[in-house]
Amino acid sequence: MIDDATAAYILENQKCFEDLKQVASQLAGLLVLAAAGSKEAGPDHPMLEMAGRLFREAQDALRRSRPTHRAKRHYEHLTSAALEIGVALKAAEGRVGIDGVLIPLRAGYSELERAADSLPGFEKVSYQRACCGVRA
Amino acid sequence: MTPAYSLWVMEYAAVPNYPQSGLIYGMHNQGTRKLPYCYIVIKGQGQLAMVDVGYNHKAHGEMLANTYGVRGWHPPLEVLGEIGIKPQDVSNIFITHCHFDHMGNIEDFPKATFYLQERELSKWVWSMSLHRRFRWLMLGIDPADIMRAVDLARQGRLVAVEGDRENVLPGVDLHAAFDTHTWGSMYVTVRNDLATNSQNSWVFCGDLAYGYENLRGHDPKDPEYIPIGLATGSQFNVIMTAEEMVKSVGGDVHRVIPPHEERLKDLYPSRITKAGLRITELALADGDTSQVR
Repeated sequence: MIDDATAAYILENQKCFEDLKQVASQLAGLLVLAAAGSKEAGPDHPMLEMAGRLFREAQDALRRSRPTHRAKRHYEHLTSAALEIGVALKAAEGRVGIDGVLIPLRAGYSELERAADSLPGFEKVSYQRACCGVRA
Repeated sequence: MTPAYSLWVMEYAAVPNYPQSGLIYGMHNQGTRKLPYCYIVIKGQGQLAMVDVGYNHKAHGEMLANTYGVRGWHPPLEVLGEIGIKPQDVSNIFITHCHFDHMGNIEDFPKATFYLQERELSKWVWSMSLHRRFRWLMLGIDPADIMRAVDLARQGRLVAVEGDRENVLPGVDLHAAFDTHTWGSMYVTVRNDLATNSQNSWVFCGDLAYGYENLRGHDPKDPEYIPIGLATGSQFNVIMTAEEMVKSVGGDVHRVIPPHEERLKDLYPSRITKAGLRITELALADGDTSQVR
């Protein structure tokens, strides 16, 4: 059962969750290009700037967030995710190499998954309209 | 001539009641059907290959079961074990497209090389650079799969194919179907007599067709192509690809194999396992014994 204050927390933090997921996806996308040998995948890639902007928005939202007791675990996972994804982003901007980005990125994404599992309303994957995506 | 490859369609999960409108364009308010989730096994010529690998239950299972009614997921170890195959023995996997239910289980196949269209990968990455309001374009994509793809690429186990590729294995061809179900979908043809102008071809179409209505319409006497329920690209391209696929099997639509088509069991020898999953046997190579009789 979700109380009103927690429901408000969920609504307020969905964008922050989605933004962090998007940043993680963008960094992972750049890593795929880099691992596949693409020359486009360097620190000058425009997606990196976009990821940085989105990340800062997510950080701001996280600072403003006031979790309820029920949402505490979610908030902790989200904070840890932001921390790890921030490390990955910095590494990507600094030409640290694939492992320097991938290791914190994986850790950050795992935290996002845990956050999604700890409260309803946070989807890891957009299932809707995919070929499984009709609600039972 | 004896078929070059044994071919099996292996069910690994299913949605018991899936709305027809999600599968066949325009079938609104016309009830539901069973939607099996399957992958394909290609065995012969000293090769063990698959088309698609299903989804990762750890990541998606609970959500899919509780919210979307997906039932009865079983791991590749168990599903493939029914025909005496181990996931670690699979050497080549052709990913028809990057939706999580087709490529999400990469990690269960530790020795395989994965083939997918370069365009599927690059447009996928491109879509991530768009504003959130374009997120529909990311549907069905799991960021965790992207991270797994990084590992594959670093291990040299990811082959980004550009367009068509013939004889990726003897008699096995990959065909690009750009801007259809997804940006870089592909289908796989098995020329099971290994002949250039094959008289014994099969097409594994991924989600380019969900059911036979997509390939022959509702009236067998007056066939027509009807688009699938979901296309990121255009329905025109979906229809033209259907024509291409049907032509490549000499007009016999039943040799185009949609993995989500439950009626395969009525067309080809099949059996249901103790776990309630279907195995359909399309062809049997020399020396292989039937797995359904």
